[in-house]
Amino acid sequence: MNSPKELLRKEDLRLITGHGKFTADWSYEGMCHAYMIRSPYAHAVIKKIDYQQVLKAPGVIRVITAEDVQQAGMKSLPTGSTMQNPDGQNQVLTPMPVLATDKVRFVGQPIAMVVADTYEHAKHAAELVQMDLDVLEAVTDYEAATQSQAPQLHEQANGNMSLHFIKGDQAATEKAFEQATFVSSMGVKSQRLIGSPMELRAVVGKYDPVTERYIVHTPNQGMLGMLGALEHITGISKAQIDLQTQDVGGSFGIRGGAFSESVLVMLASKLLGKPIKWVGTRSEIFLSDWHGRGLDLNGFIALDENGKILGMRFENKADLGAYTCYFGSFIGARNVSITMNGVYDIPALSMSSELYFTNTVPVSAYRGAGRPDIAYAIERLIDHAAFEHGFDPIELRRKNFIQPHQFPYNNQIGSVYDCGEFDRLLTRALEMSDYQNFEQRRTQALQNNKLRGIGLAYFLEASGAGTAPKDQVLGQFTKEGILRIYAVTGASGQGHETSFAQIVHEKIGLQTNQIEFVAGQSDKVMVGSGTGGSRTLYGAGSAVFNLCEQVLEKSKALAIQLLNTKEDKLHFSNGSWTNTETGEALTLAQMVQKTFVEGQPHALNATGEASSGATYPNGCHVAEVEIDPDTGVTEIIQYIAVDDVGVAISPALVQGQIHGGIVQGIGQAFFEQAVYDETGQLLTGSFMDYAMPRAGCLMNIKTEKIEVPTKNNILGSKGVGESGCSGSLPTLSNAVINALRPKGITELDMPFTPAKIWAALQDH
Amino acid sequence: MQITVNGQTQELTVQDNTLLIDLIRDQLHLTGTHSGCDTTQCGCCTVLMDQVAVKSCTILARQAEGASIQTIEGLALQDLHPVQEAFSQEHGLQCGYCTPGMIMSTVYLLQRYPNPSDEQIKEGLAGNICRCTGYVNIIKAVKSAAKKMQETKA
Repeated sequence: MNSPKELLRKEDLRLITGHGKFTADWSYEGMCHAYMIRSPYAHAVIKKIDYQQVLKAPGVIRVITAEDVQQAGMKSLPTGSTMQNPDGQNQVLTPMPVLATDKVRFVGQPIAMVVADTYEHAKHAAELVQMDLDVLEAVTDYEAATQSQAPQLHEQANGNMSLHFIKGDQAATEKAFEQATFVSSMGVKSQRLIGSPMELRAVVGKYDPVTERYIVHTPNQGMLGMLGALEHITGISKAQIDLQTQDVGGSFGIRGGAFSESVLVMLASKLLGKPIKWVGTRSEIFLSDWHGRGLDLNGFIALDENGKILGMRFENKADLGAYTCYFGSFIGARNVSITMNGVYDIPALSMSSELYFTNTVPVSAYRGAGRPDIAYAIERLIDHAAFEHGFDPIELRRKNFIQPHQFPYNNQIGSVYDCGEFDRLLTRALEMSDYQNFEQRRTQALQNNKLRGIGLAYFLEASGAGTAPKDQVLGQFTKEGILRIYAVTGASGQGHETSFAQIVHEKIGLQTNQIEFVAGQSDKVMVGSGTGGSRTLYGAGSAVFNLCEQVLEKSKALAIQLLNTKEDKLHFSNGSWTNTETGEALTLAQMVQKTFVEGQPHALNATGEASSGATYPNGCHVAEVEIDPDTGVTEIIQYIAVDDVGVAISPALVQGQIHGGIVQGIGQAFFEQAVYDETGQLLTGSFMDYAMPRAGCLMNIKTEKIEVPTKNNILGSKGVGESGCSGSLPTLSNAVINALRPKGITELDMPFTPAKIWAALQDH
Repeated sequence: MQITVNGQTQELTVQDNTLLIDLIRDQLHLTGTHSGCDTTQCGCCTVLMDQVAVKSCTILARQAEGASIQTIEGLALQDLHPVQEAFSQEHGLQCGYCTPGMIMSTVYLLQRYPNPSDEQIKEGLAGNICRCTGYVNIIKAVKSAAKKMQETKA
């Protein structure tokens, strides 16, 4: 093939020609195939499971059972951080076993893994299992879980409760409410979602009995998160696990750590001495990828007579699913609290969250992990309070914004916002959306029997400080003068290869084809955080920047030698050192080529590192919608997004993140919802029932970025991955309510399906 | 059975229940065609069969007997196809998993409608799900490819 013309990203050529390599694309000679046996019931006691017929089926080699897992000395899956109840006692943790032993607690819970010569044989054999289960009553949401006679999932969790989390100053907040002239409340649900990355989750594993090492291929968000989880569960040192990942087909927070299938494939490969492949079907992914959201957020706001906010309080309930897995507990507790004042200067805040177990798939991080949810709840509450007490919603926001001179701003929960220019972004969003002339458009729409609404929200979210104390990247030059950069973090669509190359190019002038980024190689010893909390660009990216500074410094010494001159006669620009006396110049690549010694690390190799704190990306979004009252169908007429992302390294990629986030928000606002029946069967178990946003759901969008650089990392960049959905949930909801309010509808929960809107209109 | 894939005619042995996608991925090792659902909804497996876009997960290999199949790997032989180029240039892909199917559906769409309207684009891509891009840049890529292909023709 001829060399391609200008492509936008370094990743693109392989992905647009079908030469990407996702997990299911790895194959080995003599590889066997696995299929999972899962629980068909939401809640049941396991009496006996008989695998005789399975083992007799054609092609079956072995069934990996809970006994095998026990004999291998495996632990349960990680439970994430442990938080405390108000009395100081630790929350109730219920680690999910790799394979169920005494009880199953959700439909889809892994019971055993069948290994056969072909996928088809494994799948057919799995159907022959005989299960003797005592089916129990199930609870599928926190309302059911908290009833007095509710069946209990775990012996140690009284009333199915894991944690009562409190934060803030309750006494001060109570006082604020006592002093208030106006009080409003608004309860919203951020419904349970199914993340649905397009790549089916998969694991390919290969054990080498000679070296006792494992090769593992599986989608992940960076090597240390996955290796740490594999080590935790299996007890096998991460030094013995060679995690190899090239392309990951989306992740959105779900794939940070190991699942049961990951460690079962490793175990099966060791027990059978064969490479093993497991690829989930989409139905299995619906039943076994961690679900997202599942929050009930009840907000209360206290205002003085002028509309100044005196206090805000939230009382939340969070659905953990059947077990405490990974980030599950964090979402409804810590993550919804840290920015609970949004962009407003509020003197008194308090939060209370109760986390419950239900007979459903465990919940973990999904795009924003609680931050979009709280932004949603705050901005609906502000709109509602403005409506109830006759304030203009824009002026109410403006009056309460944290002002530029107040930064760094300590909110009453302990978060320190470093910067923001909220009024500036709001003003721009109002201009771009022609907000002031909206009522004319509403009137015009009414002539066509359409209910037009406008919604505005100003969100702020905290992108991650990271789990590691710092981020490191290794920079190693090849003899051709190519800089190969290794990092802990791994991409699942964000374009790390492109953005990091951009940083290097701007700093030391190497051309982007002279820079290679390699993610997740476990033989490279580094510390750092994975991809999560939108922090890779400024976390690992800052380490790349530091690497460049070191390369530049080291190259100066080399240039003095090679150009035979003194430091004050050297000039560096556009990737070359020039001897200003002779005019002789060498590019960095040429310098490496001249001095490279085969088999030895080059003198310019370096480890870049940086410590980067949380950042506070924020933005003002405005949406205009039209509802057809005869059908309940909502059309998004226009969407405006003005975002403060700090310094944008790759503007096109930043915009792509904003688009994607906004449309995932459209998914939650209008289509998506995980629905269980009362017995705990997932009714939305395929793309036939779980509605995903499709092409054209958003045709008219205008984005603009306003760069207010943060000082919390050396690049000045803020996280952008979760901004889009943090903005679009409240913006779209406020627009829908704004359209329906003239009909007397002031409260409605997502998803705003045609059926729900139509029914609400009939009732009013 | 005989089948032509990306211009090469070959004799293959398949089971009666072998799906076209499995023939493509497992027997021919063309792993650019992806599987993304069990219900013919996501379109990650879209290929062209006698120049018509089909979901290769929902066609038995035997149904493709004698047919000419084009997969993503067969689209760029000398140069990148304008649709491939447009997807990159307009940032119409992020993780890239749905991309081969999106590109094949777009090629088929532009075959039928060289200058497609918004409605025709929506309809043409209705069977392809993308979770990353929000489709905004995918639609831009479709329009940009259409324009480029029109210009080349003219």
